[in-house]
Formats: sequence, C-alpha cells, structure tokens
Amino acid sequence: MSGKKVSVWTSITFWRRSAAWVTGTATVLLMWLTFNTMGQIAMGSDEDLQNGVTKRIPAPTVINYKIDYKMDEKRGHEVPVIGEKQPFFGKEWSAEEAAELLRHGKLTQQAKNCMNCHTLLGNGAYYAPDLTKAWLDPKWNDGTMTGITGKDTVEEAMAEFLMHPSQYPTHERMMPDLGITREEAVALVAFLKHMSAIDTNGFPRNFSQSAKRLEGGTHAR
Amino acid sequence: MFEACTDLACDNIFALLNQGPLTLTIFLHTVIIIPMFFIYFQEKKRLQEGKEEPQGEW
Repeated sequence: MSGKKVSVWTSITFWRRSAAWVTGTATVLLMWLTFNTMGQIAMGSDEDLQNGVTKRIPAPTVINYKIDYKMDEKRGHEVPVIGEKQPFFGKEWSAEEAAELLRHGKLTQQAKNCMNCHTLLGNGAYYAPDLTKAWLDPKWNDGTMTGITGKDTVEEAMAEFLMHPSQYPTHERMMPDLGITREEAVALVAFLKHMSAIDTNGFPRNFSQSAKRLEGGTHAR
Repeated sequence: MFEACTDLACDNIFALLNQGPLTLTIFLHTVIIIPMFFIYFQEKKRLQEGKEEPQGEW
C-alpha cells in the first residue's frame, strides 16, 4: 500500500495538526521569552551596587555614585561605569528616598511630555537631543554648562537649565519653558542620571564620539 | 560562525542563539518547521493505509 498516491496537502488533518503545533509551540516560546526577559530587565538592588554586581538596570541609589563610561573592546561599544560615591544635590539618598525621587522624575517626564521632542531609551522624537545618556554629555561635565548657569555641580546646573531653559540657548532648537518646579527639576535630574547608568548595549551608538563630533549633544543636528 | 557573546547576559539560552540579526529567528523557525515533516509523513502513511479522514466540525 506504500506506493498509493495520496494528497497530504489537501488533508485537513495535516493542516489542523500543523496549525496546532505551530500555535502551541509559538505560545510556549513567547511565554518563555517573556519570563526570561522579565528577569533580564529587573532592577538591581542597593546591595548589588555595594557589592559591585553589574545589572543591566541598577538600583535607584545609583544616583549616589559617579557615573562614567568606557569603551568596551570586547563588546564593541561604550558601557556605563559606576564609580565611587558622589553626593547628589549635596547628600546621600537612602534607597526609599532615591526610589521615590526616581518615581517623581518618571511622572514629571511623562507629565511634561519630554518624548514629544527628545528620545529616551529609543522612544520618542528626534527633534531635540537624545536624553538616554544626557547625564554623560561632556558639555555638562567640562565646565561649559556649570559656567553658563553659574552653578557648582552638574546636577545643580541641569536643574537650573530645566527650570529656565529659555534663558540658556544651548541649541539652535531652543527648549521651551515648561514651568518645571525646583522639586520636579531635582527629580528629573535624578531620572536622567539613573537612565545614563542603564546598560543599553551601546545605545545611542558610541555617544561620547557623537557628542564630540556634533559639538554639544549626544544627538544628530 | 559562532562568536563570543558580548551581551551582559551570556548564560542565557537566547543570548547564545542570538549571534546575529537573524540567527534566533532562523533557529526558532527551524525548530518549529522540522516536526512538521514528521506530521507530514505520519499523515501520508495514515492516508496510504486507507484510513478515513476524521470528520471534524470545520
């Protein structure tokens, strides 16, 4: 009977079983991938920071540390480096305070619709500079922005800029005054500092090189 | 063909499979398609043995 001509392609059982197999396997795979990803994107803890454990997303208390970046030859892109302790707005923030501050910063970022012009972690617009690594932009650290705003520290200069952006025309597309309060500005700066410590697998691509080349921002003009 | 994993999470099966832009996709599609050959030949054998097509509701 093995030579009998049959048409498997018109057999409804074949298609039914194939469909069940493909749908079932894809469902299981996607569920696996989802739970796998949740582990990968989970925020680290304060203990991780103290013990030097590298997490893709560090704990909110990373705002108490100096954040830098280095070119990782093996990975082929720049990675954030969490350094020694550094006071943030003149103090060290506890885990609860830092978490609350970041939450406030996130809500402010949403309320002021930063993404309407800026990009954050790949989401948003390309009108204004990419904010993913804004904290690490050399213009904040080489004395340019602290000089313009008359502040001593990067965080104070950033907060001052956020409160009165129209007074500091740093970019040909000027940022409008969004009525950001002092508390909101502090929270936003914390949000930006934390975001710069996230290992984004090199996104935006080699931002320090772009910042140097494009004069004043990790962005395209 | 296989390059050293450069991601943060290299002890992960998906990191191992994700060697390039399409490697994970090709692997998963292969894993899904190969058992369909088994389904095909099993159905072919069943039809050649003259068994009736089960009458489903659709």
